[in-house]
Amino acid sequence: MPRLHALPLLLLLALSAAHAEMVVAVRADSEIGPLNKTELTHIFLGRYRQLASGQQAEPLDLPVASPEHAAFYEALLNKTSAEIRAYWARLVFTGRVAPPRTVDNSERLQEQLLANPRALGYLERTKLDRRLRVVFEFGER
Amino acid sequence: MPTRLFPLLLLLLNAAAQADPAIPGELQLNGFGSIGMTRSSNRNAAFVRDLNQPKGTQGQWRSETDSLFGLQASWQISQQLALVAQGISRYHFGNSYAPELMSAFVRYEPRPFGSLRVGRMPTDFYLYSDSRHVGYSYLTVRPSTDFFGVLPFSHLDGADLQLAHPFGNSLLRGKLYWGKLDEDLPLADRRWQLAGSRLAGGNLSLQHGPWTVRLSSTILHFQHNLPIAEVSDALRQLAPGLPAAGETARRLDVAGSNSRFHSLGAVYDEGPLQLQAMLSHASHSTAAFQDWRAAYILAGYRRGNLTPFVGYSWIRSRSRELDTGIPRGISPDLDRLNAGIAGILADSHSEQQTTTLGLRWDLASQFALKIQHDIIRGQPGSLFPYRNENQAWNGRTRVSSIVLDFIF
Repeated sequence: MPRLHALPLLLLLALSAAHAEMVVAVRADSEIGPLNKTELTHIFLGRYRQLASGQQAEPLDLPVASPEHAAFYEALLNKTSAEIRAYWARLVFTGRVAPPRTVDNSERLQEQLLANPRALGYLERTKLDRRLRVVFEFGER
Repeated sequence: MPTRLFPLLLLLLNAAAQADPAIPGELQLNGFGSIGMTRSSNRNAAFVRDLNQPKGTQGQWRSETDSLFGLQASWQISQQLALVAQGISRYHFGNSYAPELMSAFVRYEPRPFGSLRVGRMPTDFYLYSDSRHVGYSYLTVRPSTDFFGVLPFSHLDGADLQLAHPFGNSLLRGKLYWGKLDEDLPLADRRWQLAGSRLAGGNLSLQHGPWTVRLSSTILHFQHNLPIAEVSDALRQLAPGLPAAGETARRLDVAGSNSRFHSLGAVYDEGPLQLQAMLSHASHSTAAFQDWRAAYILAGYRRGNLTPFVGYSWIRSRSRELDTGIPRGISPDLDRLNAGIAGILADSHSEQQTTTLGLRWDLASQFALKIQHDIIRGQPGSLFPYRNENQAWNGRTRVSSIVLDFIF
């Protein structure tokens, strides 16, 4: 009965993916300090991206179809990826502001964070290493 | 006609899916569109999405009312500088889908809290009015016709300046714009030129948590008269002996007149719940248009991929009287002139309310299918929002629509 044994394991994996804890991180020496939920929302929704130094924060997105995208925006705004897409459709087609740059996966995201001290992005806590620093984490859920 | 666009669209969708957005120096191609069928039940007046449309649905299903296609190219030259151009093909003036340039501007963002745009931009009279062609971005099939349909000015050639400043957990944003219109509007089978009309305005919005409140104000100075020269000329010929006729002609002039548009909008957007409420007031110094007030409320609640919504809107305008001074019953020509003027005054009357029920289904990524039913209850004199009314028009109709919105 090996197949039956695999099933609970698969379920467990699926569940852990859905509940993966997302954090927002920057390069360890970034000027970006701890952010609150409002500041983070302003940056990711393109409302206000100025940092204390006067520089512009550069948020990074993962693909709309990725589980991380869904988990991050659900945790931040209780919005689906489709709703986030509709939000950006409004802003992109009025030409007001550019959406966060999308990178292919969390490995590319880490590379980008390490390369750019003004970049910030969301990833699973388990993918952090000492070169990155957390600037926002979602509370107990 | 929109169905012919489909193969092209799928190709573009594929190409766009590969593109990585907003890498400086990279050209991006994006698009949006709606393919739909709409039917208004009353045969005695044509329901249109907005006053750009010369013909509408009068008892038959039509694809023209709510179908459109837009394509945008944007080039982020550097973090501060971007070029954006957008073309739209929609059913409009000239009874055609002739493409029009909706945007072509350079955006300069010297600091993250402000940006300056110069070129052609969509007009921004009310909250959400600059995105009213992008069906995928909102819940309903079309923006409320009572509220947005009577506002047919699409784009301005000029500049706008936007600034943002945070106050604690609130964000205050302001925008100023000025420029000229450059388009034509259909009026019966004639053309009303808007080119050269000057526009200036601004808005202030406050965002706090799920709330956004925006105050908007625009003044529009018209350059050209309505295409009613034969009426104005006849009145001016009578003016030497009949000063009231000359005065009437002057008051019907739109060239040189000012219209003011004010509005207050509030949006509550929290997780699956969306609420919108807006109020507007338009006043016109010319007697050819009636001052109006309009409002709408809209509520939607998402469950999974489905978002049912319900809305209510109304528009009321104040009738104007003009004493032409021309005595009745002297000659058939003069009676016709009086009747023509009464007709012009009556044509800009709006008095109706609309109840809207609908459902948005996000059936696949980048696609949303919407069905909507509008119940319009108005007075027989509510003519302004419609086209091609006849004597039997009673101001009441039901509009059914099914639309597929997409972006890529």
